Amino acid sequence: MNISKKARTHIDACRFCWMCRHICPIGNATGQERNTARARALGLSLVVRDAEKTEEIIDNIYECSLCGACVKECVTGWDPVMFIQEAKTDAVLAGVIPAYIEKMLEAKEKTGNVYGAVLSKGFPEREIGAEVLLYLGQDARYKSPASCKNAAAVLDKAGIRYNCLKEEPESGYAMWFLTGNTAETQSAAKECAAQLNRYKNVIVYDPADLSFIKRQYKEWGIAVTAEMVGFSNYLLELIGEKKLEVCRSKRAYTVQDSFHSARELENAESMRKLVAQCGENRDMLCCGKDTFLAGNLIMNEYMPAAMREVSRRRLENAKNIGAETVVTESPAEYEQLLALGDKAVRVLSAEEMVLENVK
Amino acid sequence: MKTEMERFIKIQILTELEDAVGRENCSVREIDRLTHSVDYFWLSRMWADRGRRMPEADFIVSPKDAQETSKVVKIANYYKIPITTWGGGGGTQGGAIPVCGGILLDTKRMDKIYEINEEGMYIECGAGTIYKHLEWAANERGYATMHYPSSLTCSTVGGFLAHRGIGVVSTKYGKIDDMVLQMEVVLPNGDIIQTSPAPKHAAGPDLNQIFIGSEGTYGIITKAQMRIYEQPETRRFRGFLFKDMHGAFMAGREILQKFKPSVMRLYDDAETASLIKKIVGVEKPGAFMNVAYEGVKELVDVEECILLDTFKKYGAEDLGSGYGEKWWKEKITFFYPGNMMDLPQMFGTMDTIAPYDKIEKIYWSMKKAVESNFPQAKFIAHFSHWYEWGCMIYDRFIIEGKDVPQDPEEAMRLHNAVWTLGVRTAIENGGVVNDHHGVGIKLGRLMKEQYGPAMQVFEGLKKSLDPNGIMNPYKLGL
Repeated sequence: MNISKKARTHIDACRFCWMCRHICPIGNATGQERNTARARALGLSLVVRDAEKTEEIIDNIYECSLCGACVKECVTGWDPVMFIQEAKTDAVLAGVIPAYIEKMLEAKEKTGNVYGAVLSKGFPEREIGAEVLLYLGQDARYKSPASCKNAAAVLDKAGIRYNCLKEEPESGYAMWFLTGNTAETQSAAKECAAQLNRYKNVIVYDPADLSFIKRQYKEWGIAVTAEMVGFSNYLLELIGEKKLEVCRSKRAYTVQDSFHSARELENAESMRKLVAQCGENRDMLCCGKDTFLAGNLIMNEYMPAAMREVSRRRLENAKNIGAETVVTESPAEYEQLLALGDKAVRVLSAEEMVLENVK
Repeated sequence: MKTEMERFIKIQILTELEDAVGRENCSVREIDRLTHSVDYFWLSRMWADRGRRMPEADFIVSPKDAQETSKVVKIANYYKIPITTWGGGGGTQGGAIPVCGGILLDTKRMDKIYEINEEGMYIECGAGTIYKHLEWAANERGYATMHYPSSLTCSTVGGFLAHRGIGVVSTKYGKIDDMVLQMEVVLPNGDIIQTSPAPKHAAGPDLNQIFIGSEGTYGIITKAQMRIYEQPETRRFRGFLFKDMHGAFMAGREILQKFKPSVMRLYDDAETASLIKKIVGVEKPGAFMNVAYEGVKELVDVEECILLDTFKKYGAEDLGSGYGEKWWKEKITFFYPGNMMDLPQMFGTMDTIAPYDKIEKIYWSMKKAVESNFPQAKFIAHFSHWYEWGCMIYDRFIIEGKDVPQDPEEAMRLHNAVWTLGVRTAIENGGVVNDHHGVGIKLGRLMKEQYGPAMQVFEGLKKSLDPNGIMNPYKLGL
């Protein structure tokens, strides 16, 4: 197995440790022992020792959402996300990835997106030579038409002049999720950076993309000259500049923190500040950097039942504190929470919350 | 021909199990068999570390409730194949390892919180509930479970019950067997029973206590009503340094006659100089003791006065509250990889319990026996669960990697020899096989030495409840 010495050290540290079991959203949802950081480490440690084959454990590697809750939980600094991604890259290079992953990569090759989907009717395409780009990302573009429509609507309401591309390059996040640090992933990232750098400002709708661009591009030395801003932060700026006038209501909102924002970018505050503009903030169990995943559209392609249960459990957390409305800035979590069809709690995107309180 | 027959029967059993729990909750995949073959038992870890495969179950099943569990048990009984229950897999005694193959029944899908009863002060939940999740459920209503072992985040309600677990505030709130009101259990014949609706009664022996600690050999716990407690108005800590262990034991014994602290942990000189120095920062030589006392503020004020007066009599140096608070904050940190003993070291915790008139003798006898017979071993201990009549020893041996045989069978031989000697010494001096980790396959051989003819009570129950001997074979000495 061709993985780094660092990955091997972390694998051996994690293989007999269960301290992060309780915060794994997938393990909690499936109840399966294999969905623990230690099970993945144990399997990989045996592959390293030639007592197991990658083919036998690779499915389990893809059952990790890379949410990093285990990394956050570990007081001694072990990093399952790192060794899982190295294992994926090794599997790709060895040609032993699961067929369902292969299928998504083929879809990316053919259609430009891992879902093999086409843009919905009413996609807010506009190329008007603006200096500002609304970068929606794959999840919103191909899986969440409402997110695209509402994101555009709130910017229109504020009178912003922006481009929204019909042909938008993938940030590389989906490729990284599926294959780890491969040449193809870096190539996708470079292509995206070149496109983004044509603009002065880029509003990044999906926290998954923003986090990936800010962290991973930097690590790979890919220069981003455009000024990047997350969508919720941008909405806050518009409110601050009075371009959007919001009237604080008596409604209570419960933030479903995206782990990309709260853990990776260490920003759980923007959403709460946004909520404070619109109504009362009511936090649920395990929020902020301790957040639980509420949905992942890539994984939903190959393990929909488990992902539905992940979303259901997170909504239960909200219901347990009497939440009326859950607000999320992640299009994946938005779509998957909505798909539950639970009438007891409303699920809104950040821009929907703003729009229902705008004057 | 035989192989074909075995293959045919295996598929036959698989289809029946799939019918019982749903195809998606029944697995013969290598990853599932592998991950259920190694628990926290040092031998299973060493085996895997050496690139060897532990015995694996043939089928992994995850029932969602007692009804599905019952179906699985009936199938196992019909085909007379072993059934081993797995909760979190965090056990140190190999109790969850499917040493005879067969069915591995993972309880973690049984994690439903059925009821939070604030009047009766309990939560009814599935036995597969991770205890930390139970704590969160209690916290959401302003309560606490008061069961805080180092494995809080790893282990399940059923796992703690099946191995008679204990947490760090046990001195005030009790052990897991004090924290359960009623249980639902699936018997080896598939019958689903409820223990009595309340634990303190005179309606015969307490059924709860028959199944608590039975490690899946008498049945499978599927649901439990666990007590919850009001959060203490205040929780205070005080660290002390004793010149010698004897004074500390006497001070601890006396304080327990007056009130019950929540935490009482006495570390011997060796552990004070190693773990406590590293994690908590106590630099001075001696025996460190951390005491926490909690509850209604007025009562805690009084308890603090009693504590300080009593410990002063025994020459304890008052270290203030800082070390204790640090210890509380780090109480689980001790057990993360990097802080905890780990391979290539060989190590084990030979926890035992005895009345105060025997506990010191047990400690010194075990220390002498281990260190003189195995000079390569270090022996350290702390005393962490205290009662009015006695306390437990959490004594550990550690052998550095350079002194551990590379050959796994030789390593196993050395491991078992240290364990046999240490636990046998405890028994000979009035201790018991184990305090709160259970017996598993690790210590089964010593159960008969512990109980003598009394073992027939356990054996009689086993024969009566599980005549085919399918429930967790080779565990608990049964």
